[in-house]
Amino acid sequence: MPHSFTVNDRRVEVEAPDMTPLLSVLRGPLGLTGAKPGCGEGRCGACTVLVDGRPAASCLTPLALAEGREVRTVEGLAEPDGPLNPLQDALLEHGGVQCGACTPGILMALTALFERDATPDEAAVKESLAGNICRCTGYHKIVEAALAVAGANGGRS
Amino acid sequence: MTRVVGTNARRADGEDKVRGTAVYGMDHGVTGTLQARLLRSPVPAGRIRRLDTARAAALPGVHAIITAADVPDTTSGWILKDQPMFAREEVRYIGEPIAAVAAETTEQAEDAVAAIELEIDPLEPLADMDAALADGARLIHPNWESYPMLAPGPRSGNVAWESTLDRGDVDAAFAAAHLVVEDEFTTQRQHQSPIEPHAAVGRFEGGRYVVHSPAQFPFLVRDRLAEWLGVPASKVRVVVTTIGGGFGGKIDAMLEPFVCVLARKTGRPVRLVNTRAEELQTAGPRENARIRIRTAVSAEGEILGQEADTIADNGAYSGEIVACAAVPGLVFGGTYRVPVARYRTRVVYTNTAPTAAFRGVNGPYAMFALEQHLDHIAAKLGIDRRELRLRNVVKAGESIANGQVLDDAVFDKGFARVEEIAPWAEQAPSGNPRALRGKGIGAVTWLTNPGPGGATVKINEDGTAGVICAGAEIGTGAVAVGLRQIVAEELGLTPDQVVILPADTDAGTYDGGAQGSRTLFSLGNAAVQASTQVREQLLAVAANLLEASAADLELADGHVRVKGSPGAQVPLAAVALTALHTAGPISATGRHITPPVQFDSGCLTGALFTGFATPTYHVHSAEVEVDPDTGKVTILRYVVAQDVGRAINPQQVEGQIHGGVLQGVGYALYEDLRVADGVTLDASLESYRLPTAFEAPPIDIALLDNPWPDGPYGAKGAGEPSLIPVAAVIASAVSDAIGKPIRNLPITPFDVLAALREDGTTEGSTR
Ligand code: FES
Ligand code: FES
Repeated sequence: MPHSFTVNDRRVEVEAPDMTPLLSVLRGPLGLTGAKPGCGEGRCGACTVLVDGRPAASCLTPLALAEGREVRTVEGLAEPDGPLNPLQDALLEHGGVQCGACTPGILMALTALFERDATPDEAAVKESLAGNICRCTGYHKIVEAALAVAGANGGRS
Repeated sequence: MTRVVGTNARRADGEDKVRGTAVYGMDHGVTGTLQARLLRSPVPAGRIRRLDTARAAALPGVHAIITAADVPDTTSGWILKDQPMFAREEVRYIGEPIAAVAAETTEQAEDAVAAIELEIDPLEPLADMDAALADGARLIHPNWESYPMLAPGPRSGNVAWESTLDRGDVDAAFAAAHLVVEDEFTTQRQHQSPIEPHAAVGRFEGGRYVVHSPAQFPFLVRDRLAEWLGVPASKVRVVVTTIGGGFGGKIDAMLEPFVCVLARKTGRPVRLVNTRAEELQTAGPRENARIRIRTAVSAEGEILGQEADTIADNGAYSGEIVACAAVPGLVFGGTYRVPVARYRTRVVYTNTAPTAAFRGVNGPYAMFALEQHLDHIAAKLGIDRRELRLRNVVKAGESIANGQVLDDAVFDKGFARVEEIAPWAEQAPSGNPRALRGKGIGAVTWLTNPGPGGATVKINEDGTAGVICAGAEIGTGAVAVGLRQIVAEELGLTPDQVVILPADTDAGTYDGGAQGSRTLFSLGNAAVQASTQVREQLLAVAANLLEASAADLELADGHVRVKGSPGAQVPLAAVALTALHTAGPISATGRHITPPVQFDSGCLTGALFTGFATPTYHVHSAEVEVDPDTGKVTILRYVVAQDVGRAINPQQVEGQIHGGVLQGVGYALYEDLRVADGVTLDASLESYRLPTAFEAPPIDIALLDNPWPDGPYGAKGAGEPSLIPVAAVIASAVSDAIGKPIRNLPITPFDVLAALREDGTTEGSTR
């Protein structure tokens, strides 16, 4: 079955069975390995991408559900040769990246949050990360980074 | 004063990680490479009667299938070399590799695995340590006596390894005691569960095996491959990818040998990645253990003597647990004064998945047992629990159970800092008036792994520095930022002017692996040594250019300049270029080894770690509330006072502490890799529960400044230890809250409710 949708604003056509996980299509034929196959079962969040602005575990998202939609991955957050976006920059500034395997998923979950609410509080940040496991950082510096961005957006930090 | 060391410089690999362009082991060879899968044993014990791959090999897309028949009949291992690459005649655990397939796609490889004909005559599994230790038990390794060893150690049958510490007249101490207290504790398996599973891509080129994998200890992987593949180590090259988390689980070789042999057979690159189920069920977790401990004390609570007997589950084959078999004894007798001691640890074979290193190997359960035992003693004597610890904890210059003198112990400072942050007599605020409240506090001595390392530093012709070493960056930032800071500090550069080659066994000198907090300690020392020589070379060349004496020159801001005359300077680039025509390219190599620990050598057997090399000191406290209706434990406040010598990058050190504490919280309250009848029951992260952002407690951190004269800029190892005390102090706090002892981990709500119901009382214990 041919499927057409956009990935990071570029139109793509993919020929694969309906139930193929979106993650495999992104990482295989589309060559975007930013989303990580942490578990393949919807439990770690490392494969999180945005589908029409909403976070989705791409390992459990059938390709057919991407049809006609806008898919965004971590590779689309900043121009490859441009500066980092504020969330990416804050994660590094605050030490919120260690091994980095969770980072693409964390960034997409936070991106969805900040697009809804530019000045989230700590509870909202944690809520947005409910589906993302980070085994390295203990989450503190990730939350700190997100709150710094909220602060820069005019929120109380 | 330092300029770069001690700052929160950014990590070199950070941009690629936040852009999603870092290439991890799991990202290598996603396309254009053959994909491999393993046939694994479906039973915990048995003899292979028939193994026929002919039908499977004929399936579409299949390029090769290999079994024990295709590889040398050797066994391998780090310390105790008892593990074959494939099960040959006998299978010893569920998940043991029996065959490997390479095919065009993963699906085709899976189909072929399913089509392999395998018949096994099952044996009664020895599913737990009691079964394996029972009189007359079947030997899991009938040929145990024939296995090669890196270093000899006491072994016997199903006891893969035994380590003892025996010092002084223990019986006399018990005979003279005011009180003798005895306890028994059991702890569970805990899985490392990095986000990235084990992965490997192998090639065969130029008659050599080249493997790309997220290896914590690439030289160990190289040596293991050489043993299994029957080739000299120089025929193997291990290139370390970006590593998506390890925590000990990626120290040893795992999937690498299969892709190497398949690559040779097929002439193609071959990739193999574990599924999450394979990770949980076959990639060795922290070992489960049982500890019996008995202590003689005076009426004032002074420890007079102690004995402990620990059994630790090795699983079917030996990994790092045998290497660290002496560690429980060192933990029991390494923090509080134990004048005479008798400790024994036996590492026991069972028909279960092999266990392996997990951050703080063999330490967390030993400390858990010891601290609960101390609480028991305090209750019996009516002494405040913190006070009991203060009375016994070692002071600088005192010796511990193995006879090692801890010259720089800073427990007094650690307890004082914790007291400042969270006074023992005060309670943190809580929103739940019905909650039961409790506190715990404990201390531990830990080590910086003494393994060797080396680093080459060179000055590039644009005036930047290059570093070549085989230090694996597992995410801690030790290589990606700490090592850069040290070299930058040494050479008057900024951290981003220092470029470090990723670890590769062909390039870097031998390195003892990213384990035991050693990377920045060891490579930092090696890099300082190399940089010192590089500086001399630079100054000698620049002395001519500046017509000054080398003694009057210094390195600053990317220049060599004459001290005290700011205008008289020459850029490093010009010095490096000039050197090409005069002295030769600027480059030097440094190396490092930690001198052996001084201890009473007669008291230990079977010990590869004989004491605390470059010791570090840790005091943790926890305050919890327990909901009496649901049994839920909430950590209100957590405090860490940690001696890191000196923090090269305080932000990265804090990150290690935050992460280690949360892994410890998982061990204390949630994580339990359950094994029954040889079956690892947890096959997904649905039932094996990792802590989320909601479980992360507030953590206060006090870094204790205690510079180590033999560390780079005073640094000691910092990565590993924050996990070790967590279960101990949380258990103490829960026990304090519910007024009942905690003897097993993890502490689930069901356990809490059951304990509360035991005799109806719910008052807290004395404190
Ligand atoms: S890989 Fe999709 S949630 Fe883990
Ligand atoms: S940084 Fe390693 S899992 Fe989050």
